[in-house]
Amino acid sequence: MTAPNQPAATSPAGSIYDLGYRHYEGVRHGRLYAMWSLYVESLRGVWGFGRPTTAKAAPFIILGIYSLLAIVQLAFSSVFAQAMARGDTVELLTYANYFATLSPFIVLFCIAQGPEVVCRDQRYSVLPLYLTRALSAVDYAVAKIAAFTTSLFVALMVPMIALFIGDVLMKADAFQAIGDEIPHFLPAIPASFLIALGLAAISLALSSFSPRRAYSAMGLVAYFLILEAVLASVFAIGVESSLEWTSRIKLLGPTSALSGANDWFFGIRPDPKTFGEVLGADAYLGAALLSVLVFTSILLLKYRRVRS
Amino acid sequence: MTTQTQPVTEAPVHGATEAAPAIELKHAARWYGNVVAVNDITFSLGPGVTGLLGPNGAGKTTLLHMLAGFLGPSAGEVLVLGRSPHRDPSVYRQIGLVPEREAVYPFMTGLEYVRFNARLQGMPDADKAARDAIAMVGLTDAQDRAVGTYSKGMRQRAKVAGALVHDPQVLLLDEPFNGMDPRQRIAMMDLLGQLADRGRTILFSSHILEEVERIGTEILVIVAGRLAASGDFRAIRALMTDRPHNITIRSSDDRRLATALIADPAVFAVELQSDRLSIQTSHLSAFRRLIAGASRKADVRLLEVASSDESLESVFDYLVRR
Amino acid sequence: MRGIALNSSIAVIPEIVSVTLRQLLGRRRAILLLLLATVPILLAILFRLADVHRIGAFTAGIMDAVALTMLLPLVAILFGTAAFGSEIDDGTAVYLLAKPIGRWAIVLAKLIAAVAVTLILTVASAGIAGAIALQPYGEEGAEAARGFMAAMAVGSVCYVTLFMALSLFTRRALVVAIAYWLIWEGLLSSLLAGIANLSVRQYALGVAGGFYKLSANEARVAPSTALTLAIVLVVVATVVAIWKLMRFELPGGD
Repeated sequence: MTAPNQPAATSPAGSIYDLGYRHYEGVRHGRLYAMWSLYVESLRGVWGFGRPTTAKAAPFIILGIYSLLAIVQLAFSSVFAQAMARGDTVELLTYANYFATLSPFIVLFCIAQGPEVVCRDQRYSVLPLYLTRALSAVDYAVAKIAAFTTSLFVALMVPMIALFIGDVLMKADAFQAIGDEIPHFLPAIPASFLIALGLAAISLALSSFSPRRAYSAMGLVAYFLILEAVLASVFAIGVESSLEWTSRIKLLGPTSALSGANDWFFGIRPDPKTFGEVLGADAYLGAALLSVLVFTSILLLKYRRVRS
Repeated sequence: MTTQTQPVTEAPVHGATEAAPAIELKHAARWYGNVVAVNDITFSLGPGVTGLLGPNGAGKTTLLHMLAGFLGPSAGEVLVLGRSPHRDPSVYRQIGLVPEREAVYPFMTGLEYVRFNARLQGMPDADKAARDAIAMVGLTDAQDRAVGTYSKGMRQRAKVAGALVHDPQVLLLDEPFNGMDPRQRIAMMDLLGQLADRGRTILFSSHILEEVERIGTEILVIVAGRLAASGDFRAIRALMTDRPHNITIRSSDDRRLATALIADPAVFAVELQSDRLSIQTSHLSAFRRLIAGASRKADVRLLEVASSDESLESVFDYLVRR
Repeated sequence: MRGIALNSSIAVIPEIVSVTLRQLLGRRRAILLLLLATVPILLAILFRLADVHRIGAFTAGIMDAVALTMLLPLVAILFGTAAFGSEIDDGTAVYLLAKPIGRWAIVLAKLIAAVAVTLILTVASAGIAGAIALQPYGEEGAEAARGFMAAMAVGSVCYVTLFMALSLFTRRALVVAIAYWLIWEGLLSSLLAGIANLSVRQYALGVAGGFYKLSANEARVAPSTALTLAIVLVVVATVVAIWKLMRFELPGGD
């Protein structure tokens, strides 16, 4: 360390003085480490770990509600198995139709927890502090999307696993059943991942526009729920009349597109009653991928501007 | 009150004469679950300015909220002008409250905000009362600007104007000097002094000792929810003579400076450390005068003079350990 | 509440109402709400252009499914939770509470402001949409339009009062309100018939049924019952809000 007030760097025009403050001489981790830390911290934040119990209530209650039907089906699997053995037809929830049936509740999860991930950093003005450190705006956005995608993926997989266990228990020979069931189950993994990514990109991009959680949540309600209801209404008008273009309108719906893309992974055609006859699952897969792209770009552009 | 050697039965700070004191706490306590925020505090206040001092989290806001009627005491009694303010909105005719949080309706102008307060107080001539209060805090020039455009100090003054627009008997201020520059602080202190001279009771909280030190006022010190000291600030500091002040100095020539300093009776220990001097003195203000002269005479350049224990925390530390 | 004259509390109500209106009608919120209010109107225009010849397609598909079930609760949540919620969040609530005013007057003033904006916005939106879409249906269409305006009015008052009371109990009132709306009003009230008597949407539909013949599947509660229950709900929620405000503890700094 140089003596105090000795110039540490000098040029003819000016000098920088070493005031004798202690320097940090330990190891410096790089960007990846910073991103990883932010990812872990955000992930804990979504589920309320390291926060008071009240912060855990919302995510876990909503996850409970979302998975409830799958868990009920698991609990009553023996009853269903007997009913089917008698030859009754039982309308069971499947890996393919679970999201389409219960999507409002996973959307509720996005509404409740999505703003949590990004709003506080803006409300309390810590975002510029993050961005003056090792993290760039892009790193920040990527870490946040990754954290929320992971959270949603976990939430989406909980009922899938419950369904899997339930289906296995319905069979007589459990070991044989696991082998039979796995091929049906596997598409749920990439499908859930795409849904998680799509919901996370939309949630965070829209949340980043307001530093207040309340307003962000309203924005998400408007985009996820109101838009979906309006599209359903337009679609219904189309069915009643001779309009052609309305049968493609569901491509614009955030959860409809993801639900159609989900069907693509399971190799089935989206239900014509709600999706129309014109488009197949591949169109919805395209729409879902496009929406991931668009909303991720919006989020990145949004944080680019923070610096200035 | 186990570690306190002096039993605090009644600590009349000042002005609490035969008439019912304006503010009175009798063994007041407040806890949230099993966290005790205010613990068995007893004191009474009459007209005058009193500082409520304590580190962050000591329970100052809880105490002020109890006086403002927003919280009931979990035990004991809290009286303002002789009656309990809890759940009794009619006491607000006599109480003015300046909360800690900065927010003021951002869409109102300063005048609108103060007038709004006057109208809610049911003042017959709200406009005149508002203009008078604005003039008192020196905001007349900015009264027609939206509060959202105010600086921190201006917002703080607008809040004070709103709180005293109905000329309350008791004025409670939570950290009123936050965000004010030293000149504004002095102006605000003068204003509070004038109100006190007109017989008003004023209690303000602060965690910065300097704010109070400069004014030299009556104080209540609370630490971890308990009353640690009360009375005149200087008297309290003077009572702490058994504890010398520690000062660290870094200079261009520590050894020469040490020789110059040790000659003075106010200095009773000098320790020469590797790159600094550690000095103990009994008399801080005398030492401040001394150090300037001594260094000039010895031709030593002072790089840093730091009083290592003048922070409020260390005073509290002292008061609590006693 | 000793020592507070009744008329001095009444006198300040307009003052609080006007401040609340200024708070609620901030620029961003106003734009979002106007956009929402135009949605039923745009759907009504599409309905007319598409030449659908079935009045039920409009009442069920647009008025009920979009306006009453989606937009009304959203607008009511926005205004109902913000009337107190934003003041508590920002810390300005203390300026209202530290005043010699009956707590009932504060609640009433907040209610008047929030109900007024919600009601005007949603009833106007329903009225215009109804006029556009139902004009070809003559008297029957006019009855349906009036029915849905009444439904919006009843729904506005009920939802806003309910959400305002809620905002005094939790600082995350908005998320709780959305959860209530999705789970209780959306899912359970359509699954379990018994809940129909405890659902604001059913009260609103019940009142609409007094103007216009809805199918039994749509309106499950009789008009007079619906109106009575709605009034009971509003009174209870208001009393609870006043009770809570009298015991309100401001979030403190330390």
